[in-house]
Amino acid sequence: MTTISLPHNIDEAVNLLADHAEDTTILAGGTILMGQINEGHLFPNRVLSLAYAGLDQVTVTPDATVLGAGVTLARLARELDLPLLSEAAARAGGPALRTAATIGGNLFAYPPYGDLAVALLALDAKLELAAARSRRDLSIEAFLAERATGAPAGEILTEIYVPRPVGRTAYTKMMRRAANSPAVVSVAVRLVLDAKGVCTAARIALGNAAPQPFRATAAEASLISTTVDAKAIAGAGDAAMAASDPPTDALATAWYRRKMVGVQVRRTLARVMQEV
Amino acid sequence: MDTITITFTLNGRPTALAVTPLTSLRTALREHLHLHATKAGCGQGGCGSCTVLLNGEPALSCLLPLAHIEGQQITTLEGLDGAGTLHPLQEAFHTHFAAQCGYCTPGMILAAKALLDRNPRPSRGEIAHALSGNLCRCTGYEPIIGAVWEAAERMAQR
Repeated sequence: MTTISLPHNIDEAVNLLADHAEDTTILAGGTILMGQINEGHLFPNRVLSLAYAGLDQVTVTPDATVLGAGVTLARLARELDLPLLSEAAARAGGPALRTAATIGGNLFAYPPYGDLAVALLALDAKLELAAARSRRDLSIEAFLAERATGAPAGEILTEIYVPRPVGRTAYTKMMRRAANSPAVVSVAVRLVLDAKGVCTAARIALGNAAPQPFRATAAEASLISTTVDAKAIAGAGDAAMAASDPPTDALATAWYRRKMVGVQVRRTLARVMQEV
Repeated sequence: MDTITITFTLNGRPTALAVTPLTSLRTALREHLHLHATKAGCGQGGCGSCTVLLNGEPALSCLLPLAHIEGQQITTLEGLDGAGTLHPLQEAFHTHFAAQCGYCTPGMILAAKALLDRNPRPSRGEIAHALSGNLCRCTGYEPIIGAVWEAAERMAQR
């Protein structure tokens, strides 16, 4: 028999979770969990819903945008104008899905879903997790590493801290259809160029190019001190392919995805260099 | 059996329902309230046939727990016609032959209504974008996009 808790703030939520951490399923917008329940894959015992927990705040400071984990993808896509992140949100599912789906929930989506992590990797985002008597911050990379090993129960993702992006950005989500489809591969790029056009910092984050979203750090390093010309772009594409370990699923084979990592990294870099 | 009671506004009328905790809005509409315009499709968020309006925005009723709509405004296709007259979108879907089997039609019309309420004169690209979460396996989409375009024109003339 399922029971549901509907706490009205985060303190209430973490205290409820602390009492039954091991057998509680956390529900945000419902777009992942309800599908699994409809399919008969999941029969949760205790559900803790964050729908009324006040996690839909957005705070903009000169240095960063702080997003509550309950901010919807529709709001990210339509009302906020965050490079990479709003673009990734706008390409997730269809408009009606985005009305309910949240940024926090997307960070627990299973492959091939969950493209917001790719954007957050390229933006050097940080997350806040809350437990009954503690709060901790961790980088998106550290969060993804913990998630891969099965994050400890008893914590709730509360906030996503997105630093004001420095440099130029471009996002690509390669799909089998023009919309409402998971990514074959997704690419988020951010480059910082100095006054002479020399690259001083680079982020190349990839989705569905490995079991987890990741930064292609060798590809990033290969661009530093170059002018990101055709030769540098080709080299970065090759390095990103070499770092990939993509899955095979109904959308694409690993072989095809690896090829597309090269193609889409090159195209995304070419686009970011055109868009001055 | 453990139930929770949720009160919300459905097609302008206050409504209260006692349901098991994870009952979806789709199940509540179809099986508890016997409003069958909202269709049960994939149950996964991929097809859009269960689309309703949540505070005027399109939402997938199969993925929306009733527990999440306390105090909210829900509109289904049944809430569109006033006193037996068709909504301009319904008229235009009829004249454009934009419904064949009809299964996607309620979701299409509500997704289109949300668009026209926000943007009364959308471009064809904006219409296609607004309907990108709604699958139709019969019409090839052109009659549907044409119908939304014409409904926008008719509504602008009123």
